[in-house]
Amino acid sequence: MTALLSARGVRKSFGGVEVLHGVDLDATPGSILALLGENGAGKSTLVKILAGDYVPDAGEITIGDARFEHLTPITARTAGVRMIHQEFQDAPTLSVAENISLGRLPASRGLVRWRAVRERAEKVLAQMGVDLDPGAPVGKLRVGERQVVEIARALSDEARVLILDEPTAALSQQEVERLFAFLRRLREQGTAIVYITHRLDEVHAISDRVQVLRDGSVAAQGETTRFDRSSLVEAMIGRAAAAVSRPPARTWELGERPALELREASSAPAFEGVELRVHPGEIVALYGKLGSGSAEVAEAVFGLRRLSSGVLLVGGSAKPAKGPAVSIGRGVGFVPADRKREAILPVRPVAENVAASSWRRLARLRVFIARRSEAAAYRRWHDALSIRSRNDPLQPVITLSGGNQQKVVLARWLERGSPLLVMIEPTRGVDVGARAELYASMRELASQGVAMLIATSDYEEVVQVADRAIVMARGRITAALEGDAITTSRLLTEAGG
Amino acid sequence: MSLTGEESPSAAPPAVAPEPLRRSRARSAAARVPESAALIVVLAALVLFFSLKTPYFFNTDNFINILIASAVVGIIACPATMLLIAGQFDLSVGGATALVTAVFAQSFVHYRPLIVSVLLALGTGIGVGALNGFLVTVIGINALITTIGTMGVMRAFAFLETNGQAVGFNGFETLGVTRPVLNVPWMVWVFVAIVLLTMFVMRATTFGRSLYAIGANPAAARLAGIRTRRVVFVGFVLSGAAVGLTGLLLASQTGQGSGNAATGLEFSAITAVVLGGASLAGGRGSIVGTILGVLVISVVNNGIVLLNIESFWQDVVRGTLLIVAVAIDQLRLRLTAE
Repeated sequence: MTALLSARGVRKSFGGVEVLHGVDLDATPGSILALLGENGAGKSTLVKILAGDYVPDAGEITIGDARFEHLTPITARTAGVRMIHQEFQDAPTLSVAENISLGRLPASRGLVRWRAVRERAEKVLAQMGVDLDPGAPVGKLRVGERQVVEIARALSDEARVLILDEPTAALSQQEVERLFAFLRRLREQGTAIVYITHRLDEVHAISDRVQVLRDGSVAAQGETTRFDRSSLVEAMIGRAAAAVSRPPARTWELGERPALELREASSAPAFEGVELRVHPGEIVALYGKLGSGSAEVAEAVFGLRRLSSGVLLVGGSAKPAKGPAVSIGRGVGFVPADRKREAILPVRPVAENVAASSWRRLARLRVFIARRSEAAAYRRWHDALSIRSRNDPLQPVITLSGGNQQKVVLARWLERGSPLLVMIEPTRGVDVGARAELYASMRELASQGVAMLIATSDYEEVVQVADRAIVMARGRITAALEGDAITTSRLLTEAGG
Repeated sequence: MSLTGEESPSAAPPAVAPEPLRRSRARSAAARVPESAALIVVLAALVLFFSLKTPYFFNTDNFINILIASAVVGIIACPATMLLIAGQFDLSVGGATALVTAVFAQSFVHYRPLIVSVLLALGTGIGVGALNGFLVTVIGINALITTIGTMGVMRAFAFLETNGQAVGFNGFETLGVTRPVLNVPWMVWVFVAIVLLTMFVMRATTFGRSLYAIGANPAAARLAGIRTRRVVFVGFVLSGAAVGLTGLLLASQTGQGSGNAATGLEFSAITAVVLGGASLAGGRGSIVGTILGVLVISVVNNGIVLLNIESFWQDVVRGTLLIVAVAIDQLRLRLTAE
């Protein structure tokens, strides 16, 4: 069958760096194409060009008989291309029916024709075979249902090409199955579907064809049945995997009593039955994709999330922590995922950012704090972590680069002397050079007896820094790897299921 | 625990290129240009202007008058600066001050001992502050809404307490009228003491640092172990304590308690604080700046009176100053944003 949408030789650069090196893509009616690739492979850029969000530097896009050098959001929509974003683009307080007609409410002379709004919604929901109350506010729906409403909106607008950007990231297993059944029905009705994912198991479950992007080029493509799991992994990571090396073998002894222990720990609905142990001097990575539950386990350890069952022991004590201040008092340091929103005090000086969790100790009589003692705290870590700044304790932290901001956050906990560090995505937004330095610092800290639990979705990070890796998927542990068994392909394979 | 320097890989290239560094330097310099410097220029220009326009402006007696006028707003503006630095507001100060004067007057004219009346007045102020703090930190109502609500309620209570009339009394002149040193009344000295105290608290205590941290990023402050709700609660209580003190000063100065006392006080205080460079986005501001803001407002009000301009123009100027100050804050935020 001929393609409905074809892209040929699409190139795109950002700030002088080319991220797509002439990519082709075909979407065929009645067929589901899985678009696969790691973070930064260029998937999002490519589909944003197809949806008219970005203008390509070169290439051609054909939809039906119409040829375009580039699309705009409006021409893409008129041509029947609709994209379902990862984050819902709906109006939660409005009804299902209104959301389906969002931006194109049927009206005469400025007055909304509510009956037409409702009829349109009923028609498309019936066509989709979904039983949803058109009058219900969208915000009250389950995540999977909200997604259905987004798709309904696209379909009622006569979408011929439907692009879904990692649609299952936030869905439960049941909702995923419902979505798949539903996509298959759309396929029968002749819609061309492009399905972006990094979950390998989904590729075989849903797609007819697969296309793998790596570093802005097509690394593999063809009938899905021609690929098995390991050939997909190979296509995704390629030679890049070889460049990632394990840290030198540990030369220090681990502490005997675990700094952290979880037994059969569950926190519905994020994770279930998690068992893990971190000893002083050890770096344990909790590896999993977004929604796998790894970040939530880390939050639970810091007391930001309650366990619904099971045991959490911090330094041997099972007392539940009420809030961050209590957790910190018990020796847990926490590096959150969103540095800008949750970790740094942007307009405040670097010295205050380092001292923030140690003010009481640095102050005389726990109250009177001198700039001098804050500056001293900053200088203690400035060289040790090679923080690149003006060496001015009063420089606002926001003026530092991402990697150096992260070092400041790390320094906060080193100054505090926390024996257990819990980190979520510690090198997100940190450039490669600074990343290597952070890993070296973390290994060095471990040698001094600090225990670390790192929740991350970056498999290279796991290989480079962890003594042990625990892999999570859909809220459960799927594998525990140790030493040289920690390889990128093992991690990807175990997290895919 | 310490990291040895030799462990960090020295071969790694510098993460910060010289070009963006220079730009960020220029930016942070722009961000750091003390608002205070600009305010001192404005203040000097105003003094010069009024000195040329009227012979009654530039003399010691008038300067003392300006300080007396500054005292009431200034004492309120100090904790208001603390709150705004932490990203909070207290708009109930005017209404609550009126209530304090009313409570004091009713107690005093009914022959309760002075000390009891004073304690009642201070307790009323602190009570209102604690109520605001409770509503904001425990119930979780936005500070603006909370204190707009209590503003109206407290002023109405003041009228109810005094049956809608001003309640006059004699025998409590010390605070507002007596001039112990340099022909300057007690209330100005109290004002100076409060300023020095808050400056010290903001600069040299963990509480002050916590206020800055909470305003700069509440989520990060909490995750760093700062007890954000407790700190903000104390901030509101301090605002209430300042209200109690201000109410006493006003009662002593005017010799009466009244529901009409301290009208527009919240307006003047916020104007002074924002004029002084505290950011509505939180995390930035200083007591010195606020005091300069207070002085600017007082000088303008004083000049308007001396020039025989209708006093309604005071409100025009004050309102305009508030908007200009916020506009400057917005421009500065845009300048320092990435």
